[in-house]
Amino acid sequence: MAQPQAAITQIGQARARIDGPLKVTGTARFTSDHNLPGMLYAVPVGATIAKGRVTAIDIARARQMPGVRAIMKRGDFPPMSHITPNFVEPLMADETRPPFDDDVIRYYGQYVALAVADTFEQAKAAADAVTVSYAAETPNVDPHLAAENTKVVSERGDAEKAYAGAAVTLDAQYAIAPETHNPIETHATVANWDGDELTLYETSQAVVNHRNVLADMLGLPRHKVRVIAKFIGSGFGGKLWPWSQSPLAAAASIKLGQPVKLVLSRPMMFHAVGHRPRIEQRVRLGATRDGKLVSLQHDYVNTTSILDDYEENCGEATPHMYSVPNLRVTSGLAKRNIGTPTSMRGPGAVPGLFATESAMDELAVKLGMDPLQLHLLNEPRLDEGLGVPFSSRHLKECLTLGAEKFGWSNRDPHVGAMKRDGMILGWGMAACSWLAARLDCSVSVELRQDGTARVASASQDIGTGTYTVMAQMAAEMLGIAVERVEVEIGDTKLPPGAVSGGSMLTASLVAPTEEAIAAAGKALIARLVAGENTPFSGAEPQTLAFKQGRIMAKDAQTSMPFAAALQTLQIASISGQGTGQGTFGAQRPKLSSHSFGAHFVEVTWRPEIARLRASRVVSVFDAGRILNPLAARNQIEGAIVMGIGMALLEGTEYDAASGAPINANLADYVVATNADVPALDVHFVEYPDYNLNALGARGVGEIGLAGAAAALTNAVYHATGIRVRELPLKLEDLL
Amino acid sequence: MQTFDLVRASDRPAAIAAGAESATAQQGASVRFLAGGTTLIDLMKLGVERPERVVDINRLGLDEIRKAENGDLFVGATARNSDLAHHPLVRADYAALSQAILAGASTQLRNAATTAGNLLQRTRCMYFRDLASACNKRKPGSGCPAIAGANRMLAILGTSNACIANNPSDMAVAMLAYDAVVHVQGVAGGRQIPLADFYVLPGQRPDIETMLAPGELITHVTLPPPKTGERSVYLKLRDRASYEFALVSTAVAVTLADGKIANARFALGGVGARPWRVRKAEDVLRGSAPDERAFRNAADTCLDGARPQSHNGFKIELAKRCIVHAFKQVTS
Amino acid sequence: MTSLFDAAVTASDAGEGRIAIKLRVNGQEREVSIDPRMTLLDYLRDVLHLTGTKKGCDHGQCGACTIHINGRRMNSCLALAAAHAGDEITTIEGLGTPGRLHPMQAAFLENDAYQCGYCTSGQIMSAVALLSEPCGASDDDVREFMSGNICRCGAYPNIIRAIQQVRRDQQKDAAPQPAGA
Repeated sequence: MAQPQAAITQIGQARARIDGPLKVTGTARFTSDHNLPGMLYAVPVGATIAKGRVTAIDIARARQMPGVRAIMKRGDFPPMSHITPNFVEPLMADETRPPFDDDVIRYYGQYVALAVADTFEQAKAAADAVTVSYAAETPNVDPHLAAENTKVVSERGDAEKAYAGAAVTLDAQYAIAPETHNPIETHATVANWDGDELTLYETSQAVVNHRNVLADMLGLPRHKVRVIAKFIGSGFGGKLWPWSQSPLAAAASIKLGQPVKLVLSRPMMFHAVGHRPRIEQRVRLGATRDGKLVSLQHDYVNTTSILDDYEENCGEATPHMYSVPNLRVTSGLAKRNIGTPTSMRGPGAVPGLFATESAMDELAVKLGMDPLQLHLLNEPRLDEGLGVPFSSRHLKECLTLGAEKFGWSNRDPHVGAMKRDGMILGWGMAACSWLAARLDCSVSVELRQDGTARVASASQDIGTGTYTVMAQMAAEMLGIAVERVEVEIGDTKLPPGAVSGGSMLTASLVAPTEEAIAAAGKALIARLVAGENTPFSGAEPQTLAFKQGRIMAKDAQTSMPFAAALQTLQIASISGQGTGQGTFGAQRPKLSSHSFGAHFVEVTWRPEIARLRASRVVSVFDAGRILNPLAARNQIEGAIVMGIGMALLEGTEYDAASGAPINANLADYVVATNADVPALDVHFVEYPDYNLNALGARGVGEIGLAGAAAALTNAVYHATGIRVRELPLKLEDLL
Repeated sequence: MQTFDLVRASDRPAAIAAGAESATAQQGASVRFLAGGTTLIDLMKLGVERPERVVDINRLGLDEIRKAENGDLFVGATARNSDLAHHPLVRADYAALSQAILAGASTQLRNAATTAGNLLQRTRCMYFRDLASACNKRKPGSGCPAIAGANRMLAILGTSNACIANNPSDMAVAMLAYDAVVHVQGVAGGRQIPLADFYVLPGQRPDIETMLAPGELITHVTLPPPKTGERSVYLKLRDRASYEFALVSTAVAVTLADGKIANARFALGGVGARPWRVRKAEDVLRGSAPDERAFRNAADTCLDGARPQSHNGFKIELAKRCIVHAFKQVTS
Repeated sequence: MTSLFDAAVTASDAGEGRIAIKLRVNGQEREVSIDPRMTLLDYLRDVLHLTGTKKGCDHGQCGACTIHINGRRMNSCLALAAAHAGDEITTIEGLGTPGRLHPMQAAFLENDAYQCGYCTSGQIMSAVALLSEPCGASDDDVREFMSGNICRCGAYPNIIRAIQQVRRDQQKDAAPQPAGA
């Protein structure tokens, strides 16, 4: 692929976000900030059983309460369609059943009614006054998992035989509690049916997909549905695909003929908007006495809901992570009376790497070997799973640079041997990987007479910095200042963009932006050639080029910026559109594209009061060219913060009797606070990956979480001698 | 939230008269006093509290913090937790109280929360706070799902077979160690209740949590003058580094004389149906050398009779370590 | 196209049991008649349409709704609007505008002290209040004082950088100027 042709000016600059002034002043408008004239408020009623059947819904009292416009339940609007997901249209939903579809309750919190009133207070009181009767059955939320079906995900050699013959073996089981995304902005929908078209202000990481699913579910033509998500209060995967609150709000607006706002409560964020499921994994490693891996077996099972099969692809990184001739990866599912799981930051690889990187550490202990050396020794030269080269893999450099910056060579391998200020220190490390790919994505560009440009795409900024990085890209390609670029995203009326997920959006935007600019340039050239009294009147179009925002003759004698060209032509603006082809999910890729990294973590341990804290983290990443180091470092730091939560704090607890996620709030489901986070030291080794796009950029949204929990629990082992194989760690395990 | 009358009390008698119209001052009261609101509004949103009338007592001049004529510390009922924690008298003479308050909640909550409100805060038992669950504290006789359910955070001391909820306050733990007295005014006049007697153990009626009768308004709390040479500390252990309720906490106050413990007072938080203090455990320390063995003895005595639930047995050992460490810290 | 649903809309009954109060918000007197159940948070967002203040948990567990009441930071989700008659309320909108940022807002922008921006109003309101609170000088002190504001994006390190930058600048401003400067 072509190398960038001009000097890099905008790319790689640490710069404040272009949408920052709106965010720091409270003027960025998130979904629930939309207040439309005549808007009503809707509050859902969730089931208080996890398995059984609704036998009656008594709305009499609620219906008579002040301000109440409707209490909707099954049968109050025409049945909606189920979704058969596919990634191509895209038409993705993890919970494929539309709301109120039948009377069967399959998980706690499943919506059974909707109260709509003039104010939030009235709607909430009415929702609380709805009385639902059930024929309840005992739910199955058993945390002990046995796969109901198993499939082989990846296999090479004979892993069992090699394991049986290995000089040193490790067989360990790991579990991860269900984690809930808990973006601080809860899911929300403001639905406005005008009698012909439906507009949805939506907390969506994928507006085009959301439009398709909602239109299909409601039986509306897709062009009659518009989804808008200008600012999203983060998502972490929880807002990737639509959930039931959105069609409910839409149905209420259609039925009542007024705009309806529906904002989920915090407890509802634990019910019907997905979560990372509970996962149990078994890792078996076989190695020579020198530490060369000869066999790797990775078997995992995750919970899924009764109706939908969500598979947590824990083995995503396993086949390419280490050089090992014999490998077998299998996955399985266990159905529970729990809402449908979904992608949560680094789905698959993040929990998978907790297991494999813990196992590598355990193996290192068995071998009496430094875990860093074990990693370096087993570094592969090509992707042994796919049998193809890596597009760009610099994990060795991440490991060695991280070790150097951390001071790893000073590590005393003996458990509990290192001390500071009366505290025991634990040092642990882990490597990580996350896929790098592109998605189909379209971008339009408008070049304007005043020298400004507008780039637009129905993509989203979920806090990852898309607004800013799009402006940087366009500015770079057009040779203008970032301030001169206007970015419009988050609206299905724009050219169909990519989802904000899988760390793929940034990489997906490069080619279509380039193409859109080229198209605009081509159109401009055509006008200049055809026009009278332009410097290029009558020239052959193929003798002209559009580079760095300038029209130039290929002999480079004359050139003119696009603004001047538009002024000469006396036209206000000229547009172009570009579409990039995705690589995600390609069956036979020629290259293995991934980002890599390494975490080095220090914990402090005070056994006398059982106090464990993360005290120092050094992380190094190979994530291609970094377009905006300020935003990129922030992404990584935030992911490490989430890793601290994953390792030490977070877990949704389902009550065995009722099936309720009983800690469904932010006081009982604890995430990391500012005080939980030590100084973080993040570095990038910058090797542009031009195989992925012309700027060499990959995404950085997820890679920081991968491996973080394992590095922490490996450090805990070094401090305490206790191997944490179930997350979150509980301090009683360390007593 | 169900609707209610909101009235601003013009004076204390009016507030007391309004409160007295409720049949109970305990769970299910039809009249509630509103101070900081950090407990009441929270529980009203959950539907756990459903008062018909809410009486705002924020403008009754109950927010004073001063040294009383007899040397006591006088703490007004609506003095904000932040003001109390940062008050020079408290920082100087009641260090464990200042630390306890600052270890609780967040700055925003402490800026709103009041002395009386903190004493009256309710358990964080997840079943108590979930209206869809049975709960003997909300509805005596309905059952206690916590006993077979999620009870890691809950009490190991003072529980009954009807309720294993714990008292979540940090402030009250320190106040208990400092021998605080709660001053209340009711229709029939005022009375003083030592904090040690203020809370009622659950027994078969976990809905009854305090000695308060309908209409009784906490006007202030007093702490006896500081003991000469006494040093104190509050130590709180929890999963998260901040902004979380205690797994275990302790307020410890010690006076040393001639290298021996002349007097020790300590109370435990996070582990009891009410803030927990065992005089016998303090007696164990009197006259002994301030060493680990003595502290461990006191801790053992204090935890005597602890009844662990399925997921919180670790709290016994954790509480002991907490006590020992706090004593070591304060005597070193 | 015809509606999917039959129109069944009934009249509402609003206005009953409301309380008339005066509030001062961002220096402006507001006279309103409100439902006693309404929190300050919902009053700001739903009635005044000052939507910079966010709802994250509605129970004092996240800090997204932090505002200043009489100059002190509090969670507006746990405050009944009607109980705050006569109080001086300041929200993020009262602090600065995109064209005229408060120094703390400017520091958040410069240090990228947010990602999605949803908790940011609450973070900034807390950070501004912190400047006049008895908070120690170290990063750890600030971390503790800022722990009542959850940032799920985890922008904590940059939040600390922004706050410490403002505090350093304040100290410089407060320091005596050298002679002749």
